[in-house]
Amino acid sequence: MRDVAAIGFGLHPWGKFNDKSVGELCRFAVEKALADAGVGWREVQAVAAASSRFSGGKGWGLNGNDIVEDMGSTGIPVYNLSAGCAAGANAFNIGWTLVASGAHDVVLVVGGEKMPKGFIQTSGNEEKTDPEFVRQRMIGMPGPAFWALLCRRRMAEFGTAEEQLAKIAVKAHKLSVHNPNARFRDEFTLEKVMSSAMVSYPLRLFEICPVSDGAAAVLLCSADFARKKTTAPVWVASSAVATARFDDGIPRGLACPAPKDGRAYHSEAAMAVEKALAAAHIGPRDVDFVELQDNTVYYELAFPEDWGLCQPGEAERLMEAGETMPTGKLPINPSGGFLSFGEATTAQGVFQICELGWQLRGQAGPRQVPDAKIGLAQTLGLGGNGTATVLKR
Amino acid sequence: MTETKTVHALDGFFADTAEGPRLLGSRCATCGTAYFPRSAMCHNPACDLSKTEDTELGAEGTLWSVAIQNYPPPPPSKYNEPYQPYAMGVVDTSDGLRVLTQIATEDPHALTIGCKVRLVIDELYRDKDGTSVLTWKYRPVV
Ligand SMILES: [Zn+2]
Repeated sequence: MRDVAAIGFGLHPWGKFNDKSVGELCRFAVEKALADAGVGWREVQAVAAASSRFSGGKGWGLNGNDIVEDMGSTGIPVYNLSAGCAAGANAFNIGWTLVASGAHDVVLVVGGEKMPKGFIQTSGNEEKTDPEFVRQRMIGMPGPAFWALLCRRRMAEFGTAEEQLAKIAVKAHKLSVHNPNARFRDEFTLEKVMSSAMVSYPLRLFEICPVSDGAAAVLLCSADFARKKTTAPVWVASSAVATARFDDGIPRGLACPAPKDGRAYHSEAAMAVEKALAAAHIGPRDVDFVELQDNTVYYELAFPEDWGLCQPGEAERLMEAGETMPTGKLPINPSGGFLSFGEATTAQGVFQICELGWQLRGQAGPRQVPDAKIGLAQTLGLGGNGTATVLKR
Repeated sequence: MTETKTVHALDGFFADTAEGPRLLGSRCATCGTAYFPRSAMCHNPACDLSKTEDTELGAEGTLWSVAIQNYPPPPPSKYNEPYQPYAMGVVDTSDGLRVLTQIATEDPHALTIGCKVRLVIDELYRDKDGTSVLTWKYRPVV
């Protein structure tokens, strides 16, 4: 495998854009990434795009084809990748593979999404073979309730307090103030989070990410090509994809085998991170900062422990001591995370990688992680899809 | 007084057997893994020969976690009006399942993780014509 550089990062700000199509959001992000790299559209040799469930793609998730038609039909190959909320980083993994393998020298990775209102709903198919439908019809359990169950278990195991959960949201918005691409850029006081509506006890409205529209693009290339464009490229140390293990204790449909040790953890995420760290020849403590998928504040506590970034039961203390802020020992989501951006499902894996790039270049302004050298990004999606990406400078 | 007509919210997931309420699942004869709902294949990668057989499961267990559905869930969920927040749980059954469920209780906030629970068949909602639509739930053992 060859070294792969990331030389262009582009983002359309996250928000709700009723007067813009997903194509416009994508074009904005792609043009930004190309300009950032100093690369023309005709130099792009392939596109790896996230398949959107909600917007564009001719109803078939052909979102990469939409982009190529929009930018100019040069006849290049397009790969449309579907992996639920992990699709953006899944597309990145394929883009990286295409360059690393030597198949192409310059590959564009894109994710763009316009989301319907409200929490994400089922497919609408009322079939007994669709576990999402059966779970909601028979148990009345929508997505946030699933997070609430995991969170409540943690509270019982480690004594996590409701105020500690709220403080994670407060921290996210402290950072979003400094991120012009974030949707919610106001500081949130502890009182504001604590007095937000209880969605699913123990989780409140401002402790769960809403849905947003957004688009992000990253330009990947070979080392030779990168040297022609920049003296300081960001390198892809590793990119890994995994699916859930049989024995991880997370009931994804109605049930799963009960693990003997009583544990539950997102194995798709943990395995992707483990593979990515191994491929980058680093340990979990070598990571300078993380962009992780904070659909809810709970994951900011659970994931660092699952991956060995800190000890089990330690996450609350680190957060309260400010160690998860950019200047701390374990900076988490310096971008402000999904809590500040909202979830543009298939675009967010690419947005995280843009944040890694800007942090590693030292371009993150007041939310900069001092002297960041290695960044880790992680997503997970429906179907037990997990991804992890390590960038370095 | 006429007896209330009842119907299962969806067929094939639970039954009121001679021994009491049970989930309709399966178990692999080779590796012993329990499945709910029924599974044609054993998903255990360490299992040498997938050999699932229909079985009845989940009579009792331990509450692994609990949460409350504070707001009315969106479709396709259904509930009685006016909406009353209810408890949901994850139950580790004594026969090897970790199953998602509503918890039948009058006081959702009083539930404690680790408590013993028993499978019941209970009303999920009433149809327009008064039919009681049933689902599986677990109830704390007092
Ligand atoms: Zn088996």
